[in-house]
Amino acid sequence: MSPKAQLGGIYPRSEQLIELTRSYDRAKTDLDSVKKQIEQDTLDLIKLQADSGFETFSDGAFAWQDQLRPIVESLDGVTTGTRYDRWFDTNTFYKKPTVAGKISVRAFEPRNFIRTDLLPRTKSWKVTLPGPYTFSELSENFHYPSQSDLLHAVASAEHEIIKKLKDAGVSRFQLSEPCLVYRPYREQAPSRAELDNALAAIQKTVDGVQAKFCVHTYFGDATTILPDLLKLPIDTVGFDLFETDYSQLKFETAKKLALGIIDGRESNAESPKWIAETATRVAKHLTGGDLVLTPNSDLKFVPRKVADVKARALAEATRLFEEGR
Amino acid sequence: MAKLYPVQEIGSLAKPRWRTKGLTQPLSSKDLVEAEEWAERLGIPDFQDRAKQLLAAQQQNDRVRELLELSTIYGLRLFEQTGLDNVGVGGEQQRVEMYEHVIRGVEGMRVLGHVQSFDYKYFNKAVAESKIHRKHPIYLQEFLDVKKNAEGQLKVPITGPYTLIDWSFSGHYSGGRTGLSLKKQKQETKREFLLDFVEQVIRPEIRDLVDAGAEWIQIDEPAITTHPEPADMELFVEGWNETVRGFNCKFSDHTCYPSEIGYKVLAQYAPQLDKCSHLALEFANRDGTSLGVDAKHREGYRDLEYFIENGYDGEFGVGAVHVHDFSGHVPPSSGKEVGRNILESPELVRDRLLYAAKVVGDPAKIWANPDCGLRTRTWEVTLAKLTSTVKGAELAREASD
Repeated sequence: MSPKAQLGGIYPRSEQLIELTRSYDRAKTDLDSVKKQIEQDTLDLIKLQADSGFETFSDGAFAWQDQLRPIVESLDGVTTGTRYDRWFDTNTFYKKPTVAGKISVRAFEPRNFIRTDLLPRTKSWKVTLPGPYTFSELSENFHYPSQSDLLHAVASAEHEIIKKLKDAGVSRFQLSEPCLVYRPYREQAPSRAELDNALAAIQKTVDGVQAKFCVHTYFGDATTILPDLLKLPIDTVGFDLFETDYSQLKFETAKKLALGIIDGRESNAESPKWIAETATRVAKHLTGGDLVLTPNSDLKFVPRKVADVKARALAEATRLFEEGR
Repeated sequence: MAKLYPVQEIGSLAKPRWRTKGLTQPLSSKDLVEAEEWAERLGIPDFQDRAKQLLAAQQQNDRVRELLELSTIYGLRLFEQTGLDNVGVGGEQQRVEMYEHVIRGVEGMRVLGHVQSFDYKYFNKAVAESKIHRKHPIYLQEFLDVKKNAEGQLKVPITGPYTLIDWSFSGHYSGGRTGLSLKKQKQETKREFLLDFVEQVIRPEIRDLVDAGAEWIQIDEPAITTHPEPADMELFVEGWNETVRGFNCKFSDHTCYPSEIGYKVLAQYAPQLDKCSHLALEFANRDGTSLGVDAKHREGYRDLEYFIENGYDGEFGVGAVHVHDFSGHVPPSSGKEVGRNILESPELVRDRLLYAAKVVGDPAKIWANPDCGLRTRTWEVTLAKLTSTVKGAELAREASD
């Protein structure tokens, strides 16, 4: 089977949308104009995926203000104050969730997460959420007695959210867990016990939901955590090829592997040929599962026109990979 | 004996509307109403003559030049009025902001487009499309204007090379590496890009500034504490040491808003920074608001200990007032909350300075400053905060007598 290309996470806003949102921020544009352009950005990305031959579609999450916000806004017990924190080692920021009460899921619109009204019914839809470990790690806990209690409360809440999104037609979920491999704000890597707890929470999040799940790590080397992730009851495991030394990998698996093979933090457009050749080299270290070619992280760290070139290259590379077999 | 607890500014000051508007379009006398009010408050006696010149300027270049010098004079007078010992460059009125201002002066760099910073805020991000070099002096004209018009000591803040390359795409520098892991390729790319930026852009700039009479250059490196890995910290040190090599000038580092472990890591490497005789750091942001000179009350300043433990023996510019939005409890003796600002009392500034001096073990090594540039505060708030900082430093001196 040939590898598939997939996008995930937040895709960069177009210059038109950026201009409108800035204007809205200065009270010079109304919200309707912003919403219309968000819709247009979404349609443009859908067209790009259709034209390039993607089979699983992402909607670009153009309305998301950061990777955690829609989850926060769907929960009781969690708020965001005025504090922004740096998103790992990037020059971008997120509003830090503050957990001040028992977490529960409030009534929410699936459209806050994914534009089901715009995505084509003939394709499968993918939504990217922060995994429970990363969400709890990046939150401030003023309620639960321990970080572990918070982690499992988040997992239960995300489980509910995912079920509702599944009912709305989403068939594929990416749970992004960068904190499993990269915590530049901490001195120590997670302990074995902490990792086991994180894996248990991920399992709780996906348990019993009939959908495809990918746990994707980025910004750090996934070499040591991959064997653990491959044991999870999920469909796909993803990792950042720009941080993971794949020459050290050697394993057999029936699971799909999502190679984060285009760099969401650099503007250089990887050529389809380079992507296909690199994927072929990585594949030699792995036995079994199919490959999925993806960006290593959200593409929001590059301007829109750069992201578009990268996305097209990803799709083209899947064809070259197949021809090269 | 030198004055204890001298006070400095750190960088940018909010830009007045007339300055921003005048850069792109002609001004009317109505646009200058605010400037006239402040001219009276700040003591700018030749305002009327300058305003006439501004309004009469036919060529955009003439108008812009006049405008930039005038706004610099306003910044200097504002700082001078508060009693600062070092007025920097008058609030960086001649710069777009710390990143783009430099990038526009570099051949080989092209602004690619906007990237989200947070919510509906974005920044323009550039890529190195070819080998880079400096197109023209970047900070020199501003320094010459400041030198001509300032009455106090000066310091030139510049954006550090590590931050500039960290916030850019490496483009041209990424090519041609094979046989290494992608991670190692990225590290080598970063090093080549950094050292070229130092050699081709930053060192020529420092040469010009020093030749023009600059005696103190503050290198702003906010990006460094976002990459606490040894490989990046070693690269930062290498870039820094290459930057300052051979120059006879005081150098300081300003790094603010680190991650939880950012200052701890920076402290390990600070002693290796050649000629870095001063570190200006942010503390007020994470400190409590009650008075006191013990560790319990001054929790926000504890990271200073790491620098001492690691043997850094230079001066410290201690962030004694907050520069962003504030919400929280402020006891009356510590100041007051006004809108989205905290106006710290001189007593709170005093206690922060005295505690810092206690940790460092030598009050002669302590300067007072805001956490960072005050560009997000109004001029009214800036005046209040800096005046309080100066008074707080006076109180600290009295307490040290």
